[in-house]
Amino acid sequence: MTDQATDRPSALDQLPGELMMWVLIVSELLVFGAGLAAFLAVRITDPAGFAEAQGHLHRAGAGVNTIVLVTSGWLAALAVQAAEAGRPGRLRALVAGAIALGAVFLVLKGAEYADLAHAGITFETHAFFTFSYLLTGFHAAHVMAGMILLAVVAVPASPRAVETGAAFWHMVDLVWVLLFPVVYLL
Amino acid sequence: MTVTRAWLALLLLSAASTGLAASGAHGAVFVVLVLSLAGAKAHVILSRYLGLSAAPPIRAGFDLALGVVLVLFAVLAIAA
Amino acid sequence: MKYQSQKIALAYFLVAMALFAVQVTMGLVLGWIYVDGNFLTEVLPFNVARMLHTNSLIVWLLLGFFGAAYYLIPEETEREIHSSKLAYLQLAIFVLGTAGVVVTYFFNLFEGNFLLGREGREFLEQPRWVKAGIVVAALIFLYNVSMTVLAGKKTAITNILLLGLWGLALLFLFAFVNPSNLALDKMYWWYVVHLWVEGTWELVMASILAFLMLKLTGVDREVVEKWLYVIAALALFSGILGTGHHYYWIGTPGYWQWIGSIFSSLEVVPFFAMMSFAFVMVWKGRRDHPNKAALLWSLGCATLAFFGAGVWGFLHTLHGVNYYSHGTQITAAHGHLAFYGAYVCLNLAIISYAMPHLKGRDPYNQVLNMASFWLMSGGVVFMTFTLTFAGTVQTHLQRVNGEAFMDVQDQLWVFYAMRFGSGVAVVLGALLFIYAILVPRREVVTPGPLEKGRLDHDADHVAAE
Repeated sequence: MTDQATDRPSALDQLPGELMMWVLIVSELLVFGAGLAAFLAVRITDPAGFAEAQGHLHRAGAGVNTIVLVTSGWLAALAVQAAEAGRPGRLRALVAGAIALGAVFLVLKGAEYADLAHAGITFETHAFFTFSYLLTGFHAAHVMAGMILLAVVAVPASPRAVETGAAFWHMVDLVWVLLFPVVYLL
Repeated sequence: MTVTRAWLALLLLSAASTGLAASGAHGAVFVVLVLSLAGAKAHVILSRYLGLSAAPPIRAGFDLALGVVLVLFAVLAIAA
Repeated sequence: MKYQSQKIALAYFLVAMALFAVQVTMGLVLGWIYVDGNFLTEVLPFNVARMLHTNSLIVWLLLGFFGAAYYLIPEETEREIHSSKLAYLQLAIFVLGTAGVVVTYFFNLFEGNFLLGREGREFLEQPRWVKAGIVVAALIFLYNVSMTVLAGKKTAITNILLLGLWGLALLFLFAFVNPSNLALDKMYWWYVVHLWVEGTWELVMASILAFLMLKLTGVDREVVEKWLYVIAALALFSGILGTGHHYYWIGTPGYWQWIGSIFSSLEVVPFFAMMSFAFVMVWKGRRDHPNKAALLWSLGCATLAFFGAGVWGFLHTLHGVNYYSHGTQITAAHGHLAFYGAYVCLNLAIISYAMPHLKGRDPYNQVLNMASFWLMSGGVVFMTFTLTFAGTVQTHLQRVNGEAFMDVQDQLWVFYAMRFGSGVAVVLGALLFIYAILVPRREVVTPGPLEKGRLDHDADHVAAE
């Protein structure tokens, strides 16, 4: 056999950024996708109960959180450009902004959780809350992990590291824009 | 499209979702519109924030998978 | 064999194969107990026999992994193992511990003794002194291989292998937790065994498979490493929270049903990736390696692991299905094909590859070895089907119709009889494998005209020696 087969550039080589981060992104999308599909499937068994339960969530707060996250993602994307342009000062300022908006997201999310807890609503109250706590809780955990990751990659400030950290952060964005309409709006 | 224009597009799409929800609409048309807006947002994030616009075949793969998933979501949501 | 200390692997493989013979023989005894429920009830109660069957499986697989590590780490790091003496000491501790376990299970001499007695558990039943011995042996092992790797060349294969072996050893510490609450006991038990076979062992499996592919197919190391990292990431991503599929019905909160269902469904993915990896490497490879038997076991490993662990696991992992099938023969079907495909075949692959080097002769006995692959694999696959059918019938009669457990068992007799037959094939296959590895010194089949022609005219073609 000749070398041609192994040396031909594969589609994977076109992938921007770190391959392992893409493996993670696809895996996360599969998990959240399956979770949201399961949520909608169980909803068929009790539409009225789900609608009633959904009323307890902070729909407006979640809408604001969408704006917060996509803006934070924008800052992270600009930070990658700053890293590539070799401007570490601008990069760190942008990353700090992205992290701060992540914190804003968590505060709004926390307010919703606090209200739910105050109303005595737990995982077990209704199938809707099992899913909403699970899905948004997993997502919020990723927001926290992303904030830490962004802070870590801003220290060496190499374009490659910043790009990888920002990719994780965009994945958190991506999951939220799919999760928000399904859990809060439908 | 720069990342800044992508951000503006995302803001517009989010505003559209919010407006749609605030209008009190529901039913099959509402489901399809809301999920279409979500799909558009996801497409922008994948293309511009995550840079897949530089790799059209891969982006096409993501778009296809996303489309299938959103159709599944729509079917399940309308069935309820 | 390039490095003297690789010879350590020989001792490990020999002990592993001896225990393998014991394990499958015990399996045959158990298979007969299913056919005739009173067989040996006084001498060898079912629970003891079952514990010996499962525990000896785990121990010989671990010894195989250790042997594989001692074989491949010198080649990867390009230096001798830190200390051969420690390696043999580690093996001696394992052998002593294994003997202690067998004696304790059989004769139960120290009932209730904190250190020497049984613990009254289903699987982690080893007396505490053996558990402590396992930890000491594991520490010796980790020290030995880590020192070797730290001083030598670091490759993706050694990185992932060490990650898996460290994780494996640390997770065993949960075996010391023995709460009186049975549900809690099970919860910790899964920290050991689930996070082994669906986490750290997969890392060991992927790295050994990668080593074999590198040697057998001659594909570039760079390509192998990329696959290896992706497989390792997928295994950990799906496997860790996949533990949730054991927490459906033991009193843990209801959200585990969804976490377990979703994450464990994804556990198919790393096994699919390993199967794709093996076949793509062989397809792309440019080396016609003479050890065809090792290649057969490697491909068989990746394929049967995908079906046994991946497909048969998925069959009953969704909690809606598992609500009915939990603890029936479906589980036994999955357990047999998964362990055989993923870990038995893996060990037999590395043994088939390494033994000719360790014994300093060509792999003469390939025809017998390959025959043993088909006999053993055919047996296990047939067993998997009979148990799957038995489990399906059992689920319906017992869980849907609500018939009593033993009434249902009576009706499953024909499946158990067939399973015993397939068990005989497996034991014969195992004995044939051991014979093929240890005894013949001459090729048993001479090349026919077709093979002769290829040998004469195709410069790239290498004989299956």
